[in-house]
Amino acid sequence: MDTSWLTKAWADPRALSASLWLIIALPALGALVCGVLGKALGRTYVNLLACATVLGSFVLSVFVFQAVAADSSVFALSPASGTAIRFALAGDWGTWFSAGGFTAHFGLLVDHLSATMLMVVTGVGFLIHLYSTGYMEHDEGYWRFFAYLNLFMAMMLTLVLADNLVLLFVGWEGVGLCSYLLVGYYYTDEAKAWAGRKAFVANRVGDFAFLMAMMLIVLTVTAYAQSPANSTPVTAWQQRKAIWTRAVSDPGPLNFQVLEEFARVLPPSAVTANKNLLEANIPSGPLAGHTYGGTLTVIFFLLLLGATGKSAQLPLYVWLPDAMAGPTPVSALIHAATMVTAGVYLLCRMSPLLVLCPAAMATVAVVGAVTALFAALIAFAQDDMKKILAYSTISQLGYMFLGVGVGIFWAAILHLVTHACFKGCLFLSAGSVMHGNADELDIKRLGGLRKEMPWTTACFGIATLTITGIVPLSGFFSKDDILDGALHARIAGAPWVGPWVYAIGMVGAVATAFYMSRLYLLAFTGERSKQAKVPHAHESGWVMVAPLVILAALSVILVTHGIPGVIQRPGGPPVTVMEEFLKPVFDLPAGVAREAESLHEVPASSTPVTVLLYVFGWLVALVGGAAALVLYKRVFPARAGRPVPALLAGIRSFTVNKFYVDELYDAFIYRPIKWLAIGLFRVVDEFIIDTLAVRGTAWVTARIGSILRYLQTGDAQAYAAVMAVGLLVGVGYALFQVLAR
Amino acid sequence: MSFSAQEVVFYLLAAATLVSAALVIAARNPINSAMSLVATFFFLAGLYVLLLAHTIAVLQVLVYAGAIMVLFLFVIMLLSLTDLGEPVRRVSLHRVVGALSAAGLLVVLVAALSRWQAAGVVGKPAEAARFGTLEAVGGLLYTRWIFPFEAVSLLLLVAMVGAVVVAKPRI
Amino acid sequence: MSLPASQVAIQNYLLVAALLFCMGMLGVLVRRNALVVFMSIELMLNAANLTFLAFARDRLDLTGHLAALFVIAVAAAEAAIGLAIVIAVFRNRGTVNVEDIRTMKY
Repeated sequence: MDTSWLTKAWADPRALSASLWLIIALPALGALVCGVLGKALGRTYVNLLACATVLGSFVLSVFVFQAVAADSSVFALSPASGTAIRFALAGDWGTWFSAGGFTAHFGLLVDHLSATMLMVVTGVGFLIHLYSTGYMEHDEGYWRFFAYLNLFMAMMLTLVLADNLVLLFVGWEGVGLCSYLLVGYYYTDEAKAWAGRKAFVANRVGDFAFLMAMMLIVLTVTAYAQSPANSTPVTAWQQRKAIWTRAVSDPGPLNFQVLEEFARVLPPSAVTANKNLLEANIPSGPLAGHTYGGTLTVIFFLLLLGATGKSAQLPLYVWLPDAMAGPTPVSALIHAATMVTAGVYLLCRMSPLLVLCPAAMATVAVVGAVTALFAALIAFAQDDMKKILAYSTISQLGYMFLGVGVGIFWAAILHLVTHACFKGCLFLSAGSVMHGNADELDIKRLGGLRKEMPWTTACFGIATLTITGIVPLSGFFSKDDILDGALHARIAGAPWVGPWVYAIGMVGAVATAFYMSRLYLLAFTGERSKQAKVPHAHESGWVMVAPLVILAALSVILVTHGIPGVIQRPGGPPVTVMEEFLKPVFDLPAGVAREAESLHEVPASSTPVTVLLYVFGWLVALVGGAAALVLYKRVFPARAGRPVPALLAGIRSFTVNKFYVDELYDAFIYRPIKWLAIGLFRVVDEFIIDTLAVRGTAWVTARIGSILRYLQTGDAQAYAAVMAVGLLVGVGYALFQVLAR
Repeated sequence: MSFSAQEVVFYLLAAATLVSAALVIAARNPINSAMSLVATFFFLAGLYVLLLAHTIAVLQVLVYAGAIMVLFLFVIMLLSLTDLGEPVRRVSLHRVVGALSAAGLLVVLVAALSRWQAAGVVGKPAEAARFGTLEAVGGLLYTRWIFPFEAVSLLLLVAMVGAVVVAKPRI
Repeated sequence: MSLPASQVAIQNYLLVAALLFCMGMLGVLVRRNALVVFMSIELMLNAANLTFLAFARDRLDLTGHLAALFVIAVAAAEAAIGLAIVIAVFRNRGTVNVEDIRTMKY
């Protein structure tokens, strides 16, 4: 039987490389047509066009994924080392701009990491487009919605496919813009419009940090490229370095291949015959005098800030709960599956350099862990269904950051994928619930939906089980792979980070199980609430239910990628499917970490101990779920009518108000900036510029004019007298000049 | 100290010119000013003869004293200005300034003159007798200076037409 | 027979011309009667003529004579027009006193 279709690409790799741009262009074209002609085209055609473009991107992504995943002969040429990158497709469409010594190219690269992201983005994106055709059927501005949604897809795909930081940043900003447009979609409601603005501004703070990090990277890389340490080529390694130095000028210092090669050079190694460059001083340029290691740490702190802005971690998470003001498909796509994962993707792309900064890694891990717990605690007391899911997203993203911080990148990506599926399913089910209950969001006013909306309940239930880990589905394994890796990781200089974030992560797992079970129990089980808006809920149409079912099914199926010990590596411990899949991408950071000795791995426990650890994780989840069950089914109904103890009421109000973080920001950041702005406006703009400079100049001119007009006496002899004086002065001067010679 | 005949004639003519020029600007009655001006022109013509500018001297008398001053006197008569005096003498700022600047200009010019050296060109015999004669001036005028000559004639035509138009009561 | 330099130093002629010029300027700036002002202008022109002719004598160059000729012609034209204007103004305003003609006053 001919199984070559399993090991060979289905389409010609060269043709695929050349047509990578189509993946981005199709949704962009859809956005343009829907935006400009949408109103004239009518609902049916707009729906068709929007879904068709994303479907086209998805189909192309499938071909690309297959070529990159299955065919071992597919490769792309790295401009930074001259060697081949296996399991990758690349395309370069020339120089975008070039200023001084800096160049940026239009280049796209697909390796296993990007291919995974591609499938998630286009697949989930397509399902959500399909869902939206049903969800937005009563909305008047549907053409605007689909235009923005398609534009978002184009921007996110640019982010994922870019082969350099500049193009990635274009996608980064673009998704921020689309987030603003879509969150503020119901712009006639002022509160919702403000929510869009808040999302954009919080993103912007992160973008600023990202931009500064990019500039620092450029300075560092170009300083090294011009330094005497980078001397004339003699050995093969030095010739390779010469190719790298040329690559810094073209395709530019922000190309990911260039940065990967740079990461190879920095740590001490026998091959490179380098001393430890991390301790060496940068020789020239504005950064001269600082060490490479120190600069890299600063760069990664800034990148982390940028990532917290985009992925809603502490301290820049405040926009995500407010962003639930947008339509639910938007919440599902942007704020669960794709945009918020951009921060994680960025850090994984920069992983070869990240592993050289233990301080930065520790910070990333701690930020992730603390955010995970913090957001979970806030979710305890929220009554708004979408807000609970928003905080849940923040919490799960915290787990991904945790994974990135301890160096277990493949597990973070696996969690990203599973999270996209189950969180997308959760949000879409919430939307389905809203659609069938006259947009009711308060879970206290729902209840008993199990009988009236069976499909939605089933999908929501499966997704809840996945996220909590009560039944070991894909979510359980992806999260526990991260925590297992954290337990065994030791970051140089901060070896306590690994076990501590494991502990915090476990507490977070209990909390996750608790609040998600609470959500399910209150909204779907039990009797219908007396305060419900409509007496009976109705199930949604197939267009909305089908994506739910597909996503729920995926959440189940993806468990295969997370189960540990499945694939046997020659000469190594058995690994998961995902780890093996992402090996071509994450081998380099692992190697760099080994050489720089920034990350130690305590050897993985023997199989029985590993099994015990996973069982412990499962028990933890069970405890959380059981606690919710007991509290909300027995204890609280039994205490109905009795007053709540003051301490508990106080804690609850503290939690419901999101620990007053927004109020804190308002008092310490917004108010001072607002006063400063008002001060500048009154003093500088109104007083100095308007009154003094502009009107003052006019007033002075007018005064001088009204004084000088008295010179116009009308008497010709007076004018003649003035001329005579002038003549005298001129003649006198000329005479003086002649005589002085 | 003996003066030559030329010098004596010069000093006499110069004094007369200056006195009548002073009368021109100082006289109350415009008629007196006009007559003084005529006298000035005659004395100036004398000075021109001393400078061997015979043609110009004659033209001065013919055109300036003969035509232009007649025109002036006609106008004065026409406007019956004889009885218009200058009733009030007001000293205004611009008059003082004007007077001072005229004085200043005199000072500057005298200072410049005192430092000027004459070229003292000595002429060749062939040109000597012809200098300043009508023949010489005419010869130059109709050859090298023909264009300005024609332009001036056009100018005079324009001036005539303009004078007629401006002075008419109704166009 | 050669033409020697003038027996009277040319400076003297130039001095006379300067005096005439300044007297004319004084008249232009100080006198109120428009016709007297005009006459003062003619004085100034004559001073210029004298200067031209003095220099011509000094350098034995006939260009000065021609310049003086043209000055006379132009002065004639100017006198014609100027007096016509004075007549027109007298007809409109009834006066030739320059102080009373001040329509361009602020």
